[in-house]
Amino acid sequence: MVRNARDEILGKLRAVHRADVPQRPEVPSLNETAFDREEMIAKFTEALFLQTGVVHRVKDNQEALDKLAEIAKEEKLEKVMASTDDVIAPLDLPSWGKENGIQILTAGDFKDRNSFKDAVFDEVNAGITGANFAVAESGTLGLIHDRDQARLISLAPILHIAIVPTERFVPIYESAIEKVFEDINAVPGQFTFITGPSMTADIQATIFRGMHGPRKLIVILTG
Amino acid sequence: MKIKTEQFVEVARREMADLNSRAFLQLLPPVIAAMRKAAMATFPDPDAATEYSRAIRAEVVARLPELLEEFEANAIARGVKVIWARDAEEANDFILNLALKRGIKYVTKGKSMVSEELGTNDVLIKNGIEAFETDLGEFIAQQLNRPPFHIVGPAVNVSVQEICDLFMEKAGMEEATTDPVELGYAARVYLRDKFHHLEMGITGVNMAVAETGSIINVENEGNIRLTKSSPRVQVSVMSLEKVVPTMRDAIHVLRLLCRNCTGQSISSYVSIDTGPKKDDEIDGPEELYIVIVDNGRSDLYGDVKAREALRCIRCGACLNHCPVYATIGGYPYGWAYSGPMGQVLNPLLLGLDRTQDLYRACTLCGACKEVCPSGIDHPSMFLYYRSKDVKGDSKLKGKKRDWKEVGIFKIFTLASTLPWLWNLGARLIRPFYNRNAKNGVVSHISGLFEGWFRKRDLPAMPAKTFHERWKDIEKRLS
Repeated sequence: MVRNARDEILGKLRAVHRADVPQRPEVPSLNETAFDREEMIAKFTEALFLQTGVVHRVKDNQEALDKLAEIAKEEKLEKVMASTDDVIAPLDLPSWGKENGIQILTAGDFKDRNSFKDAVFDEVNAGITGANFAVAESGTLGLIHDRDQARLISLAPILHIAIVPTERFVPIYESAIEKVFEDINAVPGQFTFITGPSMTADIQATIFRGMHGPRKLIVILTG
Repeated sequence: MKIKTEQFVEVARREMADLNSRAFLQLLPPVIAAMRKAAMATFPDPDAATEYSRAIRAEVVARLPELLEEFEANAIARGVKVIWARDAEEANDFILNLALKRGIKYVTKGKSMVSEELGTNDVLIKNGIEAFETDLGEFIAQQLNRPPFHIVGPAVNVSVQEICDLFMEKAGMEEATTDPVELGYAARVYLRDKFHHLEMGITGVNMAVAETGSIINVENEGNIRLTKSSPRVQVSVMSLEKVVPTMRDAIHVLRLLCRNCTGQSISSYVSIDTGPKKDDEIDGPEELYIVIVDNGRSDLYGDVKAREALRCIRCGACLNHCPVYATIGGYPYGWAYSGPMGQVLNPLLLGLDRTQDLYRACTLCGACKEVCPSGIDHPSMFLYYRSKDVKGDSKLKGKKRDWKEVGIFKIFTLASTLPWLWNLGARLIRPFYNRNAKNGVVSHISGLFEGWFRKRDLPAMPAKTFHERWKDIEKRLS
């Protein structure tokens, strides 16, 4: 009888006498777990700065929109793809866009994947998203991808702007992972940690930002 | 990828004469080693962090079959299609047939060393499907048809002039430039179009989490995220040992991987996939296939020592600390895996007979072992391979040494156990041996022992051995 590949591979592995599993040492601790929110924000900002990320701190949504207008002017934004997640939706970016002469597109505007891709790859010069987590230990954003947080928005455009309420700060990656994987039936198809812009050093070890993803990451912290 | 492990010495000699490679190897590994140290220092207790990571990887090897089953069950429950492949042929057949069935004209590849091991690109290309490497270093190495120089930076040694010529010829670059940043931008433009219209993407897997059925990819460029998010079909290929028990374990290993690999606390992007996209999402894969590849590993599993090679997480720290690698670079190792980890893995997958020089080209200094976040004892592995090779072990395909070498060591062993034979031998050999001495040193002997003396000197044998002199002294004293 011809065994299928799975049974043959697992069969060979299981046929070997199972060795004792070595005892693990204690889980090592991390400094950041003792941080309060301001310390987390400081650590996050410092770490992301070292990755050439830009961090702004504002009081509330209105100030965030003002800051966004400033950025839009500096970066000469014309057409932008925005998420419709629970940070971005309340900002009513389409209205803000009208006031500031910027066209706001969302995934919902497109009837299918291909037309969405055409826009996010070729037509927009920035992607604006929220984030589910800001992880202090390394200046890292955590994004749950779903209908309101398409993957390509924070990836394809040359500029990524992320708006994050400070309540979403956590000290270490595990804090984010715990929440994301809490209910195994509600785990997102993709969860991404983003730390700074896209980069490479594959040519003569010279660092280059904006390899395939954004060249610049701007984070606006609210609250 | 052609296997050139048997050309190790020839290629090493050529590389040692290559000034460009040498200059590069003098510069980069020490810099990355320093960055690694600084990054490890961000842990309150770097040694404890390393020990914990080693313990996780030891557990993975000990529990491999049950972890793979747990991973498969959880992945399938989340909508993943799990494919098992005994060897390269089965893996490549599956990928090719899937691409043909879906009418795929080209794929983009996220960096995947196992796909180089399997030769997946060649199979696709032979069947009319283009396969674009999209990691910048892999892209360059692919276009130049060269093996990887370093497992993390495959083309990091290639000169900017060469890259400029290459991009003008093959990547649609219009204006000549040797600025690395402008070259990088040219590659971005060329590959962006491929990502945009992508229908099927192929990636590797850094970690497969048994607890949740998730796969994790670690990158800086964004090419893997694009390869996963743009097309309707995603295929991610993993060798057996990529599995880890839990998400927490994966996060801990992630910290060690990034610090050891590039001296970063974390790479720009870490993407965790658990099943294909949900119905209402506009991007992400509708179909997610995970191909679990054996290719000789399950045959090793019964060898409790050899299977420790399965701990490796491909961080590359061993390369950056190895004095041999720092002299010869990645090409001599002759296959997808180079440096000390290549010396550990290639002999097991290809046979001790085809990799004779790989596990012998080591000073046993142990620098690799010291930094390894997975706890592999490379020097011990090499001594194990050498002994298995000399014994002609059939499972590992040991070759045995040639009859002259075996004979000489048999005589040496015998003489070492019989003092009278030793002393007789010394007296008989002395005149012939000393004929080669110049200024009291023998640095060259032509003929049978020529190779041994190529890099070694021995003193000339004195007129009397110690035993002979002692006999005289005893006589005089009595």
